[in-house]
Amino acid sequence: MSGKVIVCRCEDVTLHDVEHTLARGYRDIEEVKRYTGFGTGPCQGKECLRVVACLLAERTGVAPSAIAPFTTRPPIASVPLRLLAGPGAEDLTSARDDDATDEDHGMAG
Amino acid sequence: MIDRRLQPSLRFSGNGPGALAGPGPGDGPGAAGQPGAPEAGTRGRLLARGEAVTLDLEGDPVPAFRGETVAVALFASGARALSRSLKYHRPRSFFCLAGHCGACLMRIDGRPNVKACQTPCSDGLRVASQNAWPSAEHDAFGVVDWLFPRGMDHHHMFTGSRAMNAVLRKVTRQMSGLGRLPDPRPGNVRPETPPLRRLAGASAPDVLVVGAGPAGLAAATAAARAGARVLGIDDGAVPGGSLLADPGHGLAAAASSVREARAAGAEVRAASPMIGYFPEDGGGLAAIRTPDALWLVQPRTTIYATGGYDQNALFEDNDRPGVISGRAAGRLLVRFGVRPARRAVVAGDAPYAAALAAELAAAGITVTRTPRVQRAHGRAWVSAATLADGSRVTCDLIAVCETPAPASEPARQHGCAVTLQPARGGFCIDTDAAGLTSLPGVFACGDVTGYQGPDAAALDGARVGAAAAAAASAARAREAATP
Repeated sequence: MSGKVIVCRCEDVTLHDVEHTLARGYRDIEEVKRYTGFGTGPCQGKECLRVVACLLAERTGVAPSAIAPFTTRPPIASVPLRLLAGPGAEDLTSARDDDATDEDHGMAG
Repeated sequence: MIDRRLQPSLRFSGNGPGALAGPGPGDGPGAAGQPGAPEAGTRGRLLARGEAVTLDLEGDPVPAFRGETVAVALFASGARALSRSLKYHRPRSFFCLAGHCGACLMRIDGRPNVKACQTPCSDGLRVASQNAWPSAEHDAFGVVDWLFPRGMDHHHMFTGSRAMNAVLRKVTRQMSGLGRLPDPRPGNVRPETPPLRRLAGASAPDVLVVGAGPAGLAAATAAARAGARVLGIDDGAVPGGSLLADPGHGLAAAASSVREARAAGAEVRAASPMIGYFPEDGGGLAAIRTPDALWLVQPRTTIYATGGYDQNALFEDNDRPGVISGRAAGRLLVRFGVRPARRAVVAGDAPYAAALAAELAAAGITVTRTPRVQRAHGRAWVSAATLADGSRVTCDLIAVCETPAPASEPARQHGCAVTLQPARGGFCIDTDAAGLTSLPGVFACGDVTGYQGPDAAALDGARVGAAAAAAASAARAREAATP
């Protein structure tokens, strides 16, 4: 169709976008991420991190070993909130108290 | 809505062990063997298609099988573009078929952004496209793609007029975002919150193996045989990882490796990805999303055997549906018994490319090999490719065979050092000769330390599994000695 070369499929970031970012003087992988938004979509960089890292090494002349990946943060995979909201195993005994507090808030509200 | 071309099912009908279903068109509509019975499909491999069910694709019935995922069933019945992309509304369909790339997000069962390639088919399951109007194939918002032919610098998109900027901001906010909110639950029932399960101290595993592909399964088996209590987890619905994409292995080989690990005493759980590592939490906790609860695990030793993510190559319109990873083509063929194409271009020179091309050719597919593609052609699906030498070939699939990128996020969260090694796939976990990472008690093996392929990864896993078991045993002895 339009002939775009897509680097990050999730956020529709093109090769041209990355080159444009480098031309503006951004050199660090975190800077390129913040400028273009690559790696911030549903896949969280699984498909684009190595592409951009290798491009940076190639275009800036920095040795690959000197290039660090961007920080990865939980959750690595999507997780339903109801699983995160569960009471902890050792907190099971106090689960009833938590519910009571919840109700108290409801009544107060 | 999603347009479907009327055509016979792409599933192999399975003419018995050793025989490949007649190549070419006309395997018979929906011909997929007897429901419920495992079927001998491609080259006598076992396929577990399971019971026949019907999906509800925006009101349109689509035949499917329980053993298939939504993306595979839709592809086999001729559905093409599944949704549209976030910014330019470019057509999207699956790329990796392994739950990693985020290209196959659809609205499933009233929930947005569900990975169609990881969702098992069930009867009456409601499936719909996202980010498209009126259809994923002909989306009016695709005009944005033409308005910004090279890309978009959203930092410099303001107009001279404040009022105009306010209008533009409103329009952009309306258009941006991915998917729409979930359907409300009937009666607004509060979903139950299952208790977290904590495996620490006395209940902690000696060895946590993250990833149950060739390396992880071999590591789990070796560690369990050395007497360690082993918990193995995998993000896939079926454990096996790259074995399920490799023509030399397949579902039966994966099942046998899993049986071997379990027979040795290891616990192996599918559909249970590690979602994070929290080093600050009581000496470090791995959080694992199992299908019914969140587990917090504090193992004595950890082995990262997370394999690699399929990677795309850089060429014009490289995101066109029908451009899929070579291993995704392998998954269609090897795991699901679905013919990926009639005419395929196999691009790239990754070590697995030659075997894949041979397997596609053996399935009656016309195969063109090229070191790289310059451009993909076609609208909602690939129709041709311009090859490295400038020639143009008609095709309905471009299988991109790049070196997979090490899936190093869980290990990176743990704090393991990594090094960018372009020739080995990307950010590889640093290990010593015994598979030990930069952290004590934390090991890595297989493709996550740099691409090796399934056979080498299994050998690596066996070695590292034994080393981790020895380290765990030493840790246990220290615990016993401490009052």
